[in-house]
This record gives sequence, structure tokens and C-alpha cells, in this order.
Amino acid sequence: MSTVKTHMRDMLEIAQDEFIMRSRILDILKEEPKTILELAEILDYPSREITVWLFGLRRYGEVEEVGRPDVDGYFKYEFVEKQEEEEESHA
Amino acid sequence: MKTDKQKTDYDVMVVGAGTAGMETAASLGDMGYKVLLVEKKSSIGGKAILLSKVFPTLDCASCIITPKMAAAAHHPNIDVKVYTEVDEITRNTDGSFAVEMHQKASYVDFDACTGCGQCEEICTVTVPDEYNYDLVTRRVAHIPFPQAVPKTAVIDRRGEAPCTFTCPSNVKASGYISLVRAGRYKEAFNLHLQNAPLVGSLARACYAPCESDCTRCGKEETVHIRGIKRFFSDYYYEEHPEPEYGPVENQLKTKVAIVGSGPAGLSAAFYLARNGHQVTIFEAETQAGGMLRTAIPAYRLPNEIVDRDIKNVTALGVEIKCNTRVKSAASLKKEGFDAVFVATGASDERNMGIEGEDLEGVMGCMKFLRETKIGDAPDIKGKTVVVVGGGNSAMDPARSAIRMGAKKVIIMYRRTRDEMPAHSWEIEGAIDEGVELMELANPKQFVGKDGKLEGVEFLKMKLGEPDDSGRRRPEVIEGSESTLPVDLVVLAIGLKPSTTDFVDEIESEWGLLKSNEKTLQTKKDPSIFAGGDCVTNPTMIVNAIAQGRRAAFYMDLHLKGESLDAPFDTDFLLEKTNKDAVLEEAKDFKPRSPVLQPMMPLDERKKTFDCYESVMTEEEARQEAHRCMNCGECSQCMECVNVCPAFCIDFKMTERPRSLIVGAVVLSTGYEVLDPAAKELLGYGRIPDVIDGLQMDRLLAPTRPYNSVLRPSDGKEPESIAIVLCNGSRDHTVCNPLCCRIGCMYSVKHAQLVMGALPLADVTIYYIDIRAFGKGYDEFYEQSKGMGVEFVKGKASRIRQLENGNMELQYEDMEGEGGLGKREHDLVVLTVGFLPNTEAFGLFKPGELEADEHQYVREIDPISEPGRTNIDGLFAAGAIIGVRDIPDTVLHAGAAATQAATYLKQTRGK
Repeated sequence: MSTVKTHMRDMLEIAQDEFIMRSRILDILKEEPKTILELAEILDYPSREITVWLFGLRRYGEVEEVGRPDVDGYFKYEFVEKQEEEEESHA
Repeated sequence: MKTDKQKTDYDVMVVGAGTAGMETAASLGDMGYKVLLVEKKSSIGGKAILLSKVFPTLDCASCIITPKMAAAAHHPNIDVKVYTEVDEITRNTDGSFAVEMHQKASYVDFDACTGCGQCEEICTVTVPDEYNYDLVTRRVAHIPFPQAVPKTAVIDRRGEAPCTFTCPSNVKASGYISLVRAGRYKEAFNLHLQNAPLVGSLARACYAPCESDCTRCGKEETVHIRGIKRFFSDYYYEEHPEPEYGPVENQLKTKVAIVGSGPAGLSAAFYLARNGHQVTIFEAETQAGGMLRTAIPAYRLPNEIVDRDIKNVTALGVEIKCNTRVKSAASLKKEGFDAVFVATGASDERNMGIEGEDLEGVMGCMKFLRETKIGDAPDIKGKTVVVVGGGNSAMDPARSAIRMGAKKVIIMYRRTRDEMPAHSWEIEGAIDEGVELMELANPKQFVGKDGKLEGVEFLKMKLGEPDDSGRRRPEVIEGSESTLPVDLVVLAIGLKPSTTDFVDEIESEWGLLKSNEKTLQTKKDPSIFAGGDCVTNPTMIVNAIAQGRRAAFYMDLHLKGESLDAPFDTDFLLEKTNKDAVLEEAKDFKPRSPVLQPMMPLDERKKTFDCYESVMTEEEARQEAHRCMNCGECSQCMECVNVCPAFCIDFKMTERPRSLIVGAVVLSTGYEVLDPAAKELLGYGRIPDVIDGLQMDRLLAPTRPYNSVLRPSDGKEPESIAIVLCNGSRDHTVCNPLCCRIGCMYSVKHAQLVMGALPLADVTIYYIDIRAFGKGYDEFYEQSKGMGVEFVKGKASRIRQLENGNMELQYEDMEGEGGLGKREHDLVVLTVGFLPNTEAFGLFKPGELEADEHQYVREIDPISEPGRTNIDGLFAAGAIIGVRDIPDTVLHAGAAATQAATYLKQTRGK
């Protein structure tokens, strides 16, 4: 069950944390799929912020949901192994 | 204002490409008029394209709006200009309109962009996604939404990051910081090479002007940019003891000679060789590197790092001929070089011009440092050393002398510490290590016996009036002579350019070679260029590197026979970002403590020439990089440029202004949405699961930001959803007395869609009254009741978060027994009011375009001439005159198009 967080950080501040948090989230999901609440507990961050970062990862295909939500209504998310790029960048 | 009959560029200009604008443009285009459709965002479609479905038919919004977008974009009579803002509209006396507008710099060539999205995926800066109403983030390189038309990327930039702007070589510090934050260290190194090849040396010995200008200084202390650079340069060099590249494939026949292998010469060689020129560096010393190798103490810059940095240059095929002193640039040309770059530096010592300077035991700081670094320095263990001077070049020999075991090291300076040109941290470092400062003292003569130094006779000084430098002038106190017994004196009173061999063939002044400030080309011979400290006087390493890069750019043009009028890349810098604005935006952000670069303990530091600054760990470097405030939005990490398959990203793009004449104008700039945070007691912005209607539409849309309808606080599928009507509409507390006109119906739509998506969820609508006035609307309302949506007649007064994370909604019960009711929900949707978009008024002279009493554009006769404003030939379509639903907007747009067509017929007499 979600817990009350009194201070809601500005969305820009949360966004600025995304690149530092994404590897931490991915490291956990590489081990096994987790719900947002589980990730929040492990990382000790508000679940609202985990939601932002997790769906930033999902947007670019780095995580995806697993099946249907559990009885409490929470999805688990898993790490998605990306295909190696076939072509090198031109730079 | 034009008075003659004008030739028009377009029959009609439509401003704003939402539903009304697209419809108006399409209608006029169908009538055969040439239409310019202008949209300030990078895609047409307005707010409607972001909706889930439309009421009451529950047709997919994309299915309704996307064909309209396509029709407008591909219509033969419509030109669409996105990312374009109209600045001014003036009505001419012939009834036409003069328009000033500008297309904003998107940094992406819209014609070439394929919309592949690779730039977005690799981008290293995230910001709130306004197209998903801040429920998630997006990247600063982005395609606004999946159905965007045109489907092209844009890059957000609001200025040059101060760190990048301030760096003399414009090394993209913000870029490599964001790459380190993203864990891409090799990319950070390669980005650095674009502006400066001597990465390792700068990571240790740069005075880092970037840090002095860091915006973070306004909150805590600077981001330790040089420490981050030290991390990734060490990381890269450890992984790559040898460069990964060799000479470029396209080798040219042009030969370039560079005189001097210091930072300027090496930098010029690197960029010239990257362009395929055959480069030879001539160096008088036994080893390359100039001052990097000979003048910077090993505790700051070990020679192994200089060696590795030089490999970055030689790997490109650059040949370095050491022990080869060049005395004439012209002679090199005779040897077959097509161009010469003179970069001999400024390492000649200045004398004080006093007695005893020739005594054994008096030496210049360059000589002392050089001998120290090659292990040939005098033995000063247990001896007393005086360093004369107060600049950075005095600190290095003083701190070196401490490490060499001197008993006493004194810096003698004729002013006080406050006037010392040395950086404060250098002075503090020296004092911490045991160096003594003797202020307001200046040598009168050096005294000795049998040609050997025994002491310094010095005069006491006082400070007089400020001189040209702004510092107070030192004045001698007559009769204050004293003598200090010393074993070694190091003179660090300034350096002069090492140019004696060239002053006859290159124009010079006071020993400084003169070259064109922009191109570094010399006057007498256009194939000879000069730069670095021999032109500028001694400065920072990074200045010399910048000069070398600049010289290489213009030498390359010269060698290819091209004009040197071309702008250098620094000419494309944006204005420096307004730091105050960034700090204001971040005023409530939590402080982020700096990660300090670990230092060797003081006692150990004093005994060794090993580097006293340690490198950060990977985690520390990323954490420190995380303190960057993304001042410029785009960090210029250049990853997008590297991956773009269409080569369409152009950071040199600038705003493009345009003036044109149009026959008539239709304004269709839509409406604004009231910020629900204005209703403070309802918790929006404080409670994550209190969202507004637009956010709910995104949650329900097929292109939704989440994988399902989830609550933002923790990703749970909600079970009990409250939809609260009339927040900020019909509401005098927020000065908005108008009914929003569409809130009831779009909330019923939300309720029905939620019940479809989450069949087990309870949905409650809190309403004052339901306004279901359109065709099929009442049936739609009744249908939702039949589906099980609960309607509670009551005004919500307060929402508070409960311990379990759910919300308690308090409302005034307007039915039954009345009084205060309370219900618990796990998601609350606020149906918000709308406001007029007043931007259009700013396009005209003040007061010229009339507003109605609610600040919408006034329609002078809504019944008989819908869409007509008080200005002849200027029309308004859609929600700019008052919020309406999509069918009414389309209808009104058609009417405005007809009015505009009628006007054109009348003014043109046909």
C-alpha cells in the first residue's frame, strides 16, 4: 500500500534526476521484475518519482510491463534486453 | 503602413493550427485561395490531437483530427509554417495586411528529418513532457507526440550554458557533464576532443573558468567540472592507452609547419590533421609539450599525461621534430610548407634590472620549474628560498620548493595578498603547505660573495593610489631597507613572448607577434599565421588551445583557397543563459551537496610530487554531474548529431525572420487552461493523485504515457475515481465567471472510458448541474448513468490525502439532507475551467483589436457575421472568441472562412 509523502517535488527537479536513476532502476529490474512500490522501497524514493522515471524508461523501450496487474492493482515491470545496433553511428 | 495596392504573398494567413485553424485553412484552400497556416508549436493539431476520444460519439480523437492535419499539411493551396511566431500585423489602407513573423530555430532541418526519433532516444537531458501534461518526462531533442505533423524533431535551447560560453575554447562542459551523468564516458571524451585535444592536461591543470561561471554557484557551490573531466579522461586513458584512431582517410597534399609544440601548436596540429593536412611540428626542446611539460609541476600535471595527450595529436599522422629550433617562418615555406603557424609561446623570463641578478642562486621561475621537472634542480633541502612575485607562476615554484625539502619558502610580493594576481585557491594551497607570504616587500638588490647569492636586500612598500589595473600602486618606503639571508631566489615577475627569431619577418609590438584577431593570419605573408601566448601574452592553457583551434580553421580555409570571411564556430554561440531565470526556476529544489575531489593529506602532499588531487570514483563523478542545472536545456552533448541518419541536425541554425503581405487574416489561437493549483484546497500540485481533465484524457488516450489507466503516485490501477466538475469555471474566486461549456460532457466521456478500461472501478461525478445541451448530449449523460456512473450533486470543498495514500473528498451535499459529505477515492480528476488566450491582442497596436468583457476576441455580430472582428479583413475562428466543443468549432471555422472569402472578393472587386 502506498504511503503518504507530504512533499511533492517539482516535476522539473524530478526530471533532472532521471538519468542518474535510470541505471539504478534498470540494475534492479535486470534481477527480477518489480512493481513501482517495490522499486520505491528498494531505492528509498517516493513512488510518484519512481513512476516518472520508470515510464521514461518504458517510453524508450527499456522496460515493459509483465502480464496483468496483481490483486492490488499493481503491474510488475521487467528489463528489456535491447538488440545490438547493427550499424555504427556515422560520426 | 503601405498605402498603394499591395501584391500579396498569400490570400489569407491563418494564425494557429488547432482544429479551427486547420478547418479554416482547408475551407479557404478548397475555395481556391492561397493560404498560409502559421503554428508556433512544431506540430499542427492543437489540443484536440492530444485527446483520447470525442464526445458524445466516443470516436477516437486521432481518427477525427489526424485527417484534418493531413488535409491541411498536404493541401495544394496551403503552406504550413510550424515553429513560427507572428510578431506584428498591420492593416494596410488597401485592405491587405503587412505581417512580421519569425521561424524559431529548431536546430533540425525539417525537410531532411525523417522523424525516426533516434535523436530523442539518445538525448541526455530530460524535462517534463508538456504534451503529456507533465505526467512523464521527455527529452529536449523530441518529436512532440506520435501523430505530429510534420513528424520532425526539434531541440529545445534557451541559451548557451554559462560553462560552455565562458570557456575560451567553448569546450562543451554542459555536454560532457550530461554524458557522464548518463554513464557515457567515452562519448564525453570524444566530445571534448571537438574543442580541445589535450583532455588529460586540462583535467589537471586548467584554471577552469567554467567553474567560476557555473549557475550552481548561486545555490551551493560550483559543479566540480574539472573533477568530472579528470574522471572521464583518466577512465578513457586507462581503457585506451593508445588512441583509437589513425590518420584520416582523406589525406591532402598540403603541408603545414607549426613552430612550437605547446598547447596552441598541438591544438592547431590536431585540427589541421583532422582535415587531412600533412602537419609537422618543430620544437626547440628535447621533448614536445611546451609549458605543459616544462613549467607545470608534476604534482599538478605528470608528464605521462602530457605524453598521452600528445598521442591524440600524433595518432593523426602529425610529425613532431624536437631539438629543432626554427628561426624563420619564411625558411619553412622555402622548404616546401604551404603554410606556417607560429606558436612559440611566452616562456622568456623577465629581469628585475637590479644588482645581483647574475649571482649563482638567482634564477627565473621557468628555469627552476623546468629543471625541477626533469630532475636537474638545485638541491635546496634544508635551505631558505624566496620566490619573488604574486602570480600563479610564483605559486608553482614555491609549492615545488616545499616538496623539495626547503626549510623555509617565502613569497615576497610588493603589494598585499588581496592584490595578488594568483588564484585564491593557489595562494591558500601554498599557505596550507607551509609557504610564508611576505607582503609589501620588494627586492632592492641581491647580495652575495664570490658570485654566490647570500641574501636579498629588500625595501618595505606601502599602497598608493590605484593604477591602470585597478590595483593600488606599490610605493617604496624610503630608508626601509633590510636584508634577508637566503640560499635561492626564484624570480616569478612575469614572462615575455618567445619571439626574438620572428619579430623581423612578422609584424610585432613589444615583442608580441601581431596577427588578425579573427583569423590569426599575419599581414606580411597570408600563409603565415601566429597565435597562442606569443600573440596574447601568457594566459591559460585553454586560451592557447582555443587559439590553435581557431588558427587551424582559418588555415584550412586558406589552404583550400576559400574566403577567410567565414564565421568560426564561436560566432554561432547563443547568448549566455540567464542564470537568474534558471535559479528562480530551481528556487524550491533541494540542495545538492558537492562531491569533493579527494585530496592527499597535507603531510603527505608536502613530501611528494605525486598528484595531490585524486580522481573521483565513477559513482562520485556521476553524482557530481547530476548537480548540473541544465542551464541551456540542450547540453550540446552532440549525441543526436552522431546518430542522426539524415544528417539533419544543425546547431548553427538561427531564427529566420520574414515579412509578407496577405489579403486577409484569420486568428485561431484557441484558449488557455486554468491552472487547477489556483484552487488550493483541492490539492492539485500537492497530492499526486489529484489530476486535471487534460491529464485524464492522456491517461485514456491510445498514446498514453503509462501502460494502462494508472494513478501517478504509484502506478496502481485506481478502484474508486472521483470526477469533480466546475473547478475554476463559474467561479468568481479565480475571476472566471463563465461556464466552460464542455466540462460536463468531457467528464461524462472520461467516466464512460474509465468504465471501459477498468470495469471494476467505481466512478463518481460531483456536479453542480449537468449541462447537456447539444445533440445527443443528454442521451450520452443518461447512458453513463445506465452504465453505473454515480452522480453526486455537490460542490467539492477540500481534498486531503489520507495515511493510506487515498484522498478524502469533502463536498457540500446539495441534495437530500444537505450538509458536508466525505468520500474516499484513490484518484481524483478535476474538470477545470478555460481562459481566453490573449496573445492575439499583442500582434496589433494597443487597443486596436477589441476584446469582449471576458477578454476573448470580440465578435462584432455573432449572429449575422460570425467570426468578424472590429478590424476589417481580420477574422477570428473557434475558441479564440469563446470555448466551444469540436463540432461547434468546426462550424465556426467554416463561417470565418466564408467571411474571409467574402472580404477578399469585396476588396479585390471580384
